[in-house]
Amino acid sequence: MTNHSDPIIEVRGLTKRYGATTVVDQVDLTVHRGEIFGLLGANGAGKTTTVECLQGLRRSDAGTIRLCGLDPLTEAAKLAGRVGSQLQDSALPDRLRVGEALRLFATERAAPIDEVLDDWGLTGQRRTAFANLSGGQQQRLFVALALLNRPEVVFLDELTQGLDPAARRVVWELISALRNRGTTVVLVTHFMDEAEVLCDRIAVMANGRIVDRGTPSELIERQGHPSRMVFTPPPTIAIPDLGRLPGVASVAVIGGRVEIDGSRDMVAHVGAALVANGTVPADIDVRQLQLEDALLPLLGAPVAGGAQ
Amino acid sequence: MNSLTALARLTYTELKLVFREPLVLAFVLFFPVVFTLVLGGVFDPDDDGFGALPSDYYGVAYIGVAIGAVGLTMVPVQFAAYRERGVLRRFRTAGLKPWAFPVALLAVSVLMSIVAAALVIATTTLVYGLAQPANLPLTIVYALIAIVSFSSLGLAIGSLMPNARSAQGIGTLAFFPMFLLGGGGPPPDALSPTMRSIANWMPLTHVMRAIQEPWLDLDGGGTNHMLILIAIGIVTVGTATFVGQRDLAG
Repeated sequence: MTNHSDPIIEVRGLTKRYGATTVVDQVDLTVHRGEIFGLLGANGAGKTTTVECLQGLRRSDAGTIRLCGLDPLTEAAKLAGRVGSQLQDSALPDRLRVGEALRLFATERAAPIDEVLDDWGLTGQRRTAFANLSGGQQQRLFVALALLNRPEVVFLDELTQGLDPAARRVVWELISALRNRGTTVVLVTHFMDEAEVLCDRIAVMANGRIVDRGTPSELIERQGHPSRMVFTPPPTIAIPDLGRLPGVASVAVIGGRVEIDGSRDMVAHVGAALVANGTVPADIDVRQLQLEDALLPLLGAPVAGGAQ
Repeated sequence: MNSLTALARLTYTELKLVFREPLVLAFVLFFPVVFTLVLGGVFDPDDDGFGALPSDYYGVAYIGVAIGAVGLTMVPVQFAAYRERGVLRRFRTAGLKPWAFPVALLAVSVLMSIVAAALVIATTTLVYGLAQPANLPLTIVYALIAIVSFSSLGLAIGSLMPNARSAQGIGTLAFFPMFLLGGGGPPPDALSPTMRSIANWMPLTHVMRAIQEPWLDLDGGGTNHMLILIAIGIVTVGTATFVGQRDLAG
């Protein structure tokens, strides 16, 4: 359950520069205990650098970070086991076996190894070397390692990169399951469908800054109109009247078909008007705006040479 | 988890992983043994260009070659590969101290050097009847200093190289001339004065001499070489620590 009075991560004014390039610029973030928080942005937006600073892997140039109330750089020892992490571009030694990896990373907070193997469908791979695992099994092992010590907060960076669609769905289900365990998840991704499906709240990054934040539906409503109806208007209907219906934001006629944008409840009002008019067009098409449609203009081009 | 428990567990895991790398094992364990056997047998036992029996000279020299093979070829590649593949970052996020992996690798390197040296000693003793060390305590102390010094040289190279391929390239490039000129190749009196003065600038020469002199009762007793190895150890530990700190700040 999300507890809005209990922030587990608080970031104020986080700034990181490489030479003259500012890759993270005055970032403020608050993540509440128990939520799945998405950090969304194009490649090069500064997401990975931000979460690396949050985990104490990089020293920031300015700003304050509190992770479970502690400074991740100077109080790393106190955070061991309380924070789980799946890093981008981070492998394991090729010949390290699954069971050995779990034993190597287990602290006294760890769940029993057999239980972890079973939870993540790796029981049959206990003695398999890392290099001999399939891509999906490697990702499952990374998630298993990230969650091994029953952390309070877990960072998952581009978890589904390189996975086929079926494997992505499996990983999504695993992440959703974390919410039920009460684990806070920070999900770093450039896949907008992933963020839309999984995240309670999202911060959108572009060029090192947070450019918008909110729930997926808030972002969609803020950045555009969430619903669109397209149909061939019956001759009996007055198109200007459609524009006066509740929730309708705009009406346009394109190629003989009318396109109506508006809020989600607009669909009901237009539908009712069509029914009242006595003719429901056979080609009526309703679609909900996806997060991707809404955010694409916001994300812009990645910073040239920006470090991830 | 206690830092020392974590370190012990990491060292044990790394040691197991080394024994799963057949090429590394072949190079650090069997290459010195095979060369000792060949060179110990090709020279006339009465050849007085060695200051000792040729089989004793090479047998003891190849203890140094084994130490050099571990420090220059195994350690740098392992360190650079782990950094390149993000394994080091994974260790860090798992709560391991930044020094944990370098220290574990140092421990593995020391253990592997001891195993490799023991193999050379056992083989030479069995085949040629290796002479007992003239000064056993000093030989052991100097050999241990050489091992730690070369293991930290390996760490320093590994920390400076951007990836495993360059670490392997530099390590191999350094190792071969060092072992050929430093005492593992032609007999000392077959080297030209220029070659000998180049050899004096090569760290592995001092490893071999620091062990040969007290073992075979040669002039010098190994003290100067031991001091040079201590200096190499201090500089390389300093370099690896500096690079580690710099990476952390990145």
